[in-house]
Amino acid sequence: MNRRMAAFILGLALALLAGGALWWWLQGLGAGGTESQPPAGAGKAAPVPFDLWIPDGIGLRVERRELQVTSAPKDRIRRIAEALLAPRPDGVRLFPDGVALAGVQLSKEGTAYLNLVWDGHDDPPASGSTEELQRVYSLVNSIVTNVPEARRVALLWNGLQRPTFAGHLDTSRPLAPLDALRTR
Amino acid sequence: MQASPSPGGMGVRWERGIEGVRSGGILSGVNDRRFLGTLALVSLLLPVLVAAQARMETPPAVQHQPTVLLDGGILPAPVTITPAGPLFGLAALVNNLGGTLDADENGESFTLTIEGKDVVIAIGSAIITVGDNIVSLSQPPIRGEGTLLVPVDFLQKTYGDLAGFLFDWRPGVQQLVISRRAAREIPVLLDVVHLQGMTTVVLQFPEAPRYQILRQPGQVDVQMMGDRLAPPPTPPAVADPLVQSVSIAPDQVRIQLSPEAQASSYVLENPFRIVFDVHLPSQTPVPVAPGPAPSEQAPGVRTIVLDPGHGGSETGAIGPSGIQEKELTLTIARELEARLESQLGVRVVLTRNEDANLPLDARTAIANQNKADLFISLHLNSSLGAGAHGAETYFLSAEASDAAAARMAETENTAQPAVPEGTTGLETQDLELILWDLAQTHHLLESQRFAAMIQGDLNQTLQLRDRGVKQAPFRVLNGAAMPAVLVELGFISNPDEEKQLQDGAYRAELVASLTRAVSSYKALVENRPEPPQASQPGPPGQPGAAPPAQPAPQLKPAPGTRPATPGSSGTRPPQPRSSGRR
Repeated sequence: MNRRMAAFILGLALALLAGGALWWWLQGLGAGGTESQPPAGAGKAAPVPFDLWIPDGIGLRVERRELQVTSAPKDRIRRIAEALLAPRPDGVRLFPDGVALAGVQLSKEGTAYLNLVWDGHDDPPASGSTEELQRVYSLVNSIVTNVPEARRVALLWNGLQRPTFAGHLDTSRPLAPLDALRTR
Repeated sequence: MQASPSPGGMGVRWERGIEGVRSGGILSGVNDRRFLGTLALVSLLLPVLVAAQARMETPPAVQHQPTVLLDGGILPAPVTITPAGPLFGLAALVNNLGGTLDADENGESFTLTIEGKDVVIAIGSAIITVGDNIVSLSQPPIRGEGTLLVPVDFLQKTYGDLAGFLFDWRPGVQQLVISRRAAREIPVLLDVVHLQGMTTVVLQFPEAPRYQILRQPGQVDVQMMGDRLAPPPTPPAVADPLVQSVSIAPDQVRIQLSPEAQASSYVLENPFRIVFDVHLPSQTPVPVAPGPAPSEQAPGVRTIVLDPGHGGSETGAIGPSGIQEKELTLTIARELEARLESQLGVRVVLTRNEDANLPLDARTAIANQNKADLFISLHLNSSLGAGAHGAETYFLSAEASDAAAARMAETENTAQPAVPEGTTGLETQDLELILWDLAQTHHLLESQRFAAMIQGDLNQTLQLRDRGVKQAPFRVLNGAAMPAVLVELGFISNPDEEKQLQDGAYRAELVASLTRAVSSYKALVENRPEPPQASQPGPPGQPGAAPPAQPAPQLKPAPGTRPATPGSSGTRPPQPRSSGRR
């Protein structure tokens, strides 16, 4: 066996190693990426218009926005919440940068559970009552308005239900929408 | 290869090795071919071995023959052992322990129904919901063995809590032993309160029993399902126009109603209570107008509790210049305290008089313990939207007060009962708790009226367009057993208002406005003409301005109240009930 043959075998082995590593990585990515994939059987994602409740002045205004969603209620809830948590073009954020949606559940009784997390922060952001109302009911109203399967929304912070988010609202139980916050 | 010293990198060493092979320095002839053949084989097998290893590590390894025992017999449920503990096939357990298991349309989550309660399980999530409660698990349920696999604490928190099963995992012998819990004996407290034409019967338990409610004309039974009640040493004596008797036996509580009387029920938690509202049909939905209570004292405003919002580590809103809501609310509360005491001669209690954390429920508790006639929670606001300014006054939304009750309404065919003990007026501390969650419900009408008075005066003082009073499920108002409001005196997030709020003269105007509103309300409650307001400073630019007209007592909406939107449970009309503890 000459040097060329040895080099060929080694090259082949390295290529196989690289291929195996790539396959492994792809397997792992598939398993860890289920959160962003549409649920199996929920159909393909398609653009659907939603009425989102956006902070405005001292209340919330309704803004129509198109989101890519499947027909699965949980997927719709997740997309709506993610759209609300994302920074807006005017720079206003519903929650400070870093607050993210960690999970969604929907009970048979129609209670949607949203688990919000904020790395490095035990407590939700401090605020006045209007700000707290805007934060909480932007999510509650948007979800209940657009997802018929969700009748109430319970907000969790770092996986736990809290008596209040910012010292005013009672968030210890699922909340029904508050239409009176609508400004226009 | 290793034998040839290499001053360079890997490639250099490898080159020398090959040279060594060729020259027969280390290996030669057949050995050379064998070495390279082995090398090639190992190289080819390596990725396969790596992949196999990875595959073995990723999903929980299925091990063998752990068993599940139910009533001494082996239950054919698959068991998977993982590093975090064993997982058990749920479908087989459901078949043997009862209940139903349904997958959602996506197969992503499952609903397990046990004794009428739904348990929602999401694959891969260590949080489940049991009814409306959130429950954390030691490890998430996963798919495997052709079924849904759940940890043992899942079983304890579902079948254990809801259906009385006990689960004992014995790692030494790899066995899960399932047994049925012996019936618990649960003590019960009974309270019967009659006020303004309605009777409230409360059964309180240290833990939630399993029960069902059976109704017949003139009678309501709370029947135990598996548990037993500890009857009180002396039978409860009830003297009530709507409830003839309440009897407690180990297997049920029977409430004998007066002819024509009807009872509706709901559940409260912490502590667990089953509450029955007993009334005559014609009285049911009619809200009772606030009138003189049949109390020893004439109605009046003698004690006011002021609650400076936030405190301690809870800063509240923070203004652009860094001023914190908790500081200003305490300053304003102290200024208002002095003014109310000197001007109206009332007793004023502050929930906090220092910069300290105080839980929301404790604030209300202070008001209740002081038998306050008014509760005013003082706050400063912030908004996500630009340009927010002005004052706002809130009272509790009816939904929030009901919800204490509601918890989504009691499912009468479900779970858990109680026992009483009885007679009216026992164990004071416990009984004080019994109707706590309902406290504000009885005062919504008055809270609405008081809020309208405050907002009306603030509108004039601050020259605001009337936004009306608002309702929200604010926790600090929920347990208040007196008219209670939360006042936002300005937007600290607005640079102009933040500056104004730090100005003593401006705050004095706010304090004067609040004092006028309290004075007006006091006059209304005490049924006497309003005192002259001449000594009060008027709104800016309007010295001596008259206080705003007072809205007439009415249910919904009060003048200036944001209209309720159909379907919005947050703005349902208050429905005062006639039981209470004050």
